[in-house]
Amino acid sequence: MNLNYSDEQQMLRDQIQKFCESDYSFEKREAIIKSDNGYDKDLWKMFSELGWLSVPFKEETGGLGYGPVELTILFEEFGKVLVVEPYLSTVVISGSILDNSNFSNKSKLIGSITSGEKHISLAYIESNQTFDHSSLSTTAISDGNTLIVNGMKSLVLNGGNADHIIASVMLDGEFALVLIDQGLSGYSSNSYPTVDGQTCAEIQLENVSVPSESIIAKGEDAINLLSEAINLATLCISAESIGCMTACYLKTVEYTKERRQFDQPISNFQVLQHRMVDMFIETEMCKSLLYKAMLECDSNEPTKFKSVSGLKSQIGTAGKFVSQQAVQLHGGMGVSEELLIGHYLKKLVAIDSLFGNSSHHLNKYISS
Amino acid sequence: MEISFTEKDLQFRGQVRSWIKNDYPAHIKQKQNNGEKLSKQDIIDFHKALSLQGWMGYNWPVEYGGTGWSSTQIYIFQKEFGLAGCINILPFGVGMVGPVIYTFGSDEQKKRFLPNILNFDTWWCQGYSEPGSGSDLASLKTKALKEGDHYIVNGSKTWTTLAQHADWIFCLVRTETTEKKQEGISFILIDMKTPGVEVEPIITIDGEHEVNAVFFTDVKVPAENLIGEEGKGWTYAKFLLAHERFGIAVVGASIRQLNILKDIVAGLKNPNLERKITELEINLNALEMLELRLLSDLENGGHPGAESSILKIRGTEIQQRLTELFVEASGEYALIYPGPHGHSNNQPAGPAHAAKSVSKFLNYRKASIYGGSNEIQKNIISKYILGL
Repeated sequence: MNLNYSDEQQMLRDQIQKFCESDYSFEKREAIIKSDNGYDKDLWKMFSELGWLSVPFKEETGGLGYGPVELTILFEEFGKVLVVEPYLSTVVISGSILDNSNFSNKSKLIGSITSGEKHISLAYIESNQTFDHSSLSTTAISDGNTLIVNGMKSLVLNGGNADHIIASVMLDGEFALVLIDQGLSGYSSNSYPTVDGQTCAEIQLENVSVPSESIIAKGEDAINLLSEAINLATLCISAESIGCMTACYLKTVEYTKERRQFDQPISNFQVLQHRMVDMFIETEMCKSLLYKAMLECDSNEPTKFKSVSGLKSQIGTAGKFVSQQAVQLHGGMGVSEELLIGHYLKKLVAIDSLFGNSSHHLNKYISS
Repeated sequence: MEISFTEKDLQFRGQVRSWIKNDYPAHIKQKQNNGEKLSKQDIIDFHKALSLQGWMGYNWPVEYGGTGWSSTQIYIFQKEFGLAGCINILPFGVGMVGPVIYTFGSDEQKKRFLPNILNFDTWWCQGYSEPGSGSDLASLKTKALKEGDHYIVNGSKTWTTLAQHADWIFCLVRTETTEKKQEGISFILIDMKTPGVEVEPIITIDGEHEVNAVFFTDVKVPAENLIGEEGKGWTYAKFLLAHERFGIAVVGASIRQLNILKDIVAGLKNPNLERKITELEINLNALEMLELRLLSDLENGGHPGAESSILKIRGTEIQQRLTELFVEASGEYALIYPGPHGHSNNQPAGPAHAAKSVSKFLNYRKASIYGGSNEIQKNIISKYILGL
C-alpha cells in the first residue's frame, strides 16, 4: 500500500502549478473569457509543447501513456486558478473515445489533438433527456456510402470551437457514435456562455451527409466508449472541484487574517475559525474519495463507476458548501465579479450540474 | 500508487482473522450475539486471551515485550477487530500509560509496571478530567505536595471510565503553582487501594454505570510513583495524546454497524432512510481512505500531525450518525428502554436491534465529547494546519 505520488507525478504537478501561478492571473483569465474563442490559442499551443495535451493517450497513438492519476493532478491544479481552456471536451472526452475505439482514422485525429491543431467535442445530449443519453431522436440513415444525419444536440462543450463533433445517433435503429465535420452542409452551431466562463453550443444537423467510414463505433461498443469517457470526465471535474475547494479555504484563511473588524483580524473569531476548519475537512474528505475513485479507474476495477458516483455525489454538496462559505466569509467582496472567490462558486455549481448532479449520482450509487 | 496491501501484510491479516475465528473466547462471543451485558470477568478474559497470544502489546516495541508491528500491521489488527465486533481493547494500560512508562519511566518503573500491563494483571484507569477542568485540562487543581518520600494527593477526578474495576490510576496532578499553568503539572501513578481514594458512580443518560468520580483525600503516594521529572507531566500527556492516533476513527467497527443496519433496512422499503444510509456510507468510504492516506504518509517517513484530528471528528460523527439511523430503523419500538442491566432475562417485543438502539444512541453522545471534544479538535486544526 502506497498512496504517495511518484516523483514523476510530483514533477508534473510542479510544472502545472508553476504555469498556473505565473501565467494565469485573474486579469488574464477575464481577458480570455471575453475573447472571441473563449480560450487562448497561444496557451493551447503551449500546452501542446509541454506535452499536456498528450497526457492520457496511449503511447502507441503518440501519447505519454499516463492515466487517471495524472489527469486528476492536472485538473486539480487547473481548478485552483479556474483554467477555462477546453481540455475536458477535446482531450479527455473526445480523446478517450477515440483512443479506446477501433476507429480507422484515430491516430491522425489524436495527432491533431495532441498537436493542438484541432478541437473535437462530444455531442451526446438532447434537450428532452434527463441523464439518459441512450434514448435519442438524432438519426443517421445509411444511403450507399454515406449517412444522412438529422437532429439537434445541446450542451456541446466547446461546441462553437469544435472542428469535429462526435455525435451520438440512432444509426438505422442502433446506437452509434459518428464523427462529423463542422464545415459540412446542413451543420450549424449556436454558441453560448456557461456559468463557469466557458462556452457550449447547440448544434443542428439537417440532412448532413457524412461518409460511412465516419462511424466510430456501434451498439454495445459505442455505449461502452461513451460511458467510459463520461466516467473519466466525471473523475476529472471532481478533481478540478477539489482544486477549487482547496483554493477557497486557503484564500479565505488569507483574507480573514487581513480583514479587520472590531479592531482585530476577523480570523480571531472562533466561529469563523471553525467554519474554515469545516471547509478544510470537507475538502480532505472529498480528496480521500478522489483517491479511491482514481485508483479504481487506474486499475480498471469493475467498481470504478460506483466509486466515481460516490465521489461526484459528495463533490456536489461539499463543493457548494465550501464555496458558499468562502463567499460568506469574504462578505460583500465575496459576491463581487472582481474577485476570484465568486467565480469558484460558479465553477462548483457548473461542476455539480455537469454529468449528473449530486442527487443523480447518489441514486446511481444506490442502484449500482 | 498502490492501494492493496503486500502479500506479507495480507498473510498477517489472515493470522488475525484466524485468531478471531478460532481463539476469541466463545462465552464472550455468545453473550455478544445474544445482546447480553458483559461482566468485568468477561473483559478480563478477553484481554487475557490476547496476552496469551502475545498480542497485548500490539503497539509496543519488542524490547518492552510488544509485538514490534509496523503501523500497517497495527492498522490491520485494529480494523479486523472492529470488523469482527470484538470487545474494544481497553486503551488505558496498553495504549496510554504503558507507552508513557517505557518512554519516560525509570528502569525500576518499567520492570514493575510493564509486565502487568501486558498480562492484564493490572486494570488501569485515567485520571485527567476534573469537575472544573474539561477541555481546559491544564487548569486542573488536584494537588500533590511532597512530604519526605511521599506525595500527599488531594482533589478529585471525574468521568473516569471503568474506575470501579480499576487497580491503578494514572493522574495528572499539580505539584507546583506556576505562572504558566502547564509547567506545574506532574504525572503520577496511584494504587486505587490506597486509603483516601474513593470511587463514586456517575450514571449516564443510557442508565449505565461506565464513568465515575474519583476523590482523593490525603492520599499518601510513594515518591517513586512519579513518572519522569516533576513539572513535566504536561509534556508526557501530550506525548500520550499523539501516541494513539490510528484507531480513533474506528472505521472497522463503523463498517460492521453499517452492514448490520443495511441488512435491517433492506426489508423496510424506506427509500428516505436508505438514502441517509448511502450518504453515511460514502462518508465512511472517505474516512477509510483518509486513514489510509495518513497511514501511507507515516509508512513513507512522514509525520502526519493535526490531520488526525479529522479522524477523531469525522469518526465520532459517523459513529453517532449510525446510532441515530439505528433508532430511526427501529420505528416505534425505539420506545423500549432496556435500562441499566440489559434485557437478558426479559426479551422485549419488537426487533432485536430496537431496544439496544436507543441505549447506544444515548451512550454515544460521549464520543464527540471525550478524547478532546470535537470543538477542541477543530481548534487544533485551526491552529496547526490553517495557521489561524
